[in-house]
Amino acid sequence: MITVNTENKLDKIDVNALSEEQIALSIRDLDLYYGETQALDGITMDIPKGRVTAFIGPSGCGKSTLLRCINRMNDLVETCRVDGEILLHGDNIYDRSVDVAALRRKVGMVFQRPNPFPKSIYENVVYGLRLMGVNDRRTLDEVVERSLKGAALWNEVKDRLKESAFSLSGGQQQRLVIARAIAIEPEVLLLDEPTSALDPLSTLTIEELITELKSQFTVVIVTHNMQQAARVSDQTAFLYMGKLIEYTDTNSLFTTPSMKQTEDYITGRYG
Amino acid sequence: MDKFNVGKHISGRFNEELGSVRNQVLTMGGLVEKQLSDALTAIQNNDTELADRVLDNDGKINAMEMQIDAACGQIIAKRQPTASDLRLVLAVIKTISDLERIGDEAERLAHVAKASFDKNQEDLLVSLENLGQQVLSMLRNVLDAFARMDEEAAYSVHQMDANADRQYEALTRQLMTYMMEDPRSIPKIMDVMWSARSLERIGDRCQNISEYIIYFVRGKDVRHISPEMMENTVRGR
Repeated sequence: MITVNTENKLDKIDVNALSEEQIALSIRDLDLYYGETQALDGITMDIPKGRVTAFIGPSGCGKSTLLRCINRMNDLVETCRVDGEILLHGDNIYDRSVDVAALRRKVGMVFQRPNPFPKSIYENVVYGLRLMGVNDRRTLDEVVERSLKGAALWNEVKDRLKESAFSLSGGQQQRLVIARAIAIEPEVLLLDEPTSALDPLSTLTIEELITELKSQFTVVIVTHNMQQAARVSDQTAFLYMGKLIEYTDTNSLFTTPSMKQTEDYITGRYG
Repeated sequence: MDKFNVGKHISGRFNEELGSVRNQVLTMGGLVEKQLSDALTAIQNNDTELADRVLDNDGKINAMEMQIDAACGQIIAKRQPTASDLRLVLAVIKTISDLERIGDEAERLAHVAKASFDKNQEDLLVSLENLGQQVLSMLRNVLDAFARMDEEAAYSVHQMDANADRQYEALTRQLMTYMMEDPRSIPKIMDVMWSARSLERIGDRCQNISEYIIYFVRGKDVRHISPEMMENTVRGR
């Protein structure tokens, strides 16, 4: 039988049997509690390098919580307790010796609402570098151009880098925030509902950008928009009530899910 | 169990849209079945009036195909169906295209029914009738299987095709003998030969539809695979 290769240029991989060099992040038996409430229950999964992984599931299923665990954003919640581990290069990011600021340089995050700082476009992009003590003009100029190009924003703003970031549209602001996140060259980019506050065209621009970004970064995205997960991700994890129900390549999940709960959710049925 | 399971969507309108498409396919299937059975009767009884009715009705089937295609297009555009909903829409689009072609074959048979056969040639038609009945029951069964989305029943239809193929081959051999015996009868025998070919094709199309049913239920494409793999898929192994 002749098989026609209709996959994109990425090789098909089995996300549940990744080799060590394919793995960007390993989540192992992760439990998370907010006070008495358990929000994540025994999550174990490997997130592959250089690909887009989507977390989907109904509100309150724990997908954003799981995403926030990856750069320890939940540390800011006082009642939050985490058991289990998340391994980045084999090291547990929840280890006591880990410098959280250094972790967040490796694992960048973009939020639902664009949150540019009240500064110029230029200063927004170089903000992370300045914090790291980089002030060389030429280096900063290069990073600004490279990051804005990487975030598909350069052509729109190159002549007004000194203008306030707030002069940009919502979609542009979100791309600026992505440029700021990639300026410090993280390994992993976490996107928490990155387009939910944007219009359809800006959404498509960001989705296009996400596909570009995976050549350099490992991308993990949480989205309420299932079609978006279907469009941009290579593999999708479906979470329900704090548990990982199904995790497989996106094409299979959206055409032939193996769990009934997944099927009910993606076809819009009440279970 | 109703494997169709078009209900239970949070959107009641979506339930209605899928339900309506399903009903239209069943209506179209009923129409095609009637066309085939009428065409066969017309040939048997040399009933030109009935044959004319078959010819007139083909337009209805074509119209239904277009109407269902349009409804499926709207569902894709508006609902972005996934998983079993998506497979249902795909199965429907493919099924109606095969049903329409079965309709065309019935039309071809009706043309033959309008040609008159003399006494000597009429016994040719008996063999044709046997193949016709076999294929008609395949069509009936596959439509039943579609109505219930019953993959086992679809699989039995798939198996029936081998028998239809054998009958077709036997009939072809018989017709060739007649041709050799009486070359003057060749034009008429060719008509019968083409009818037999039409019936054999209808069997193949029923087989296609049974593959779409299995695809919908099991989520696996069973076209162009070995009989063992197909059986394993149907049995969920």
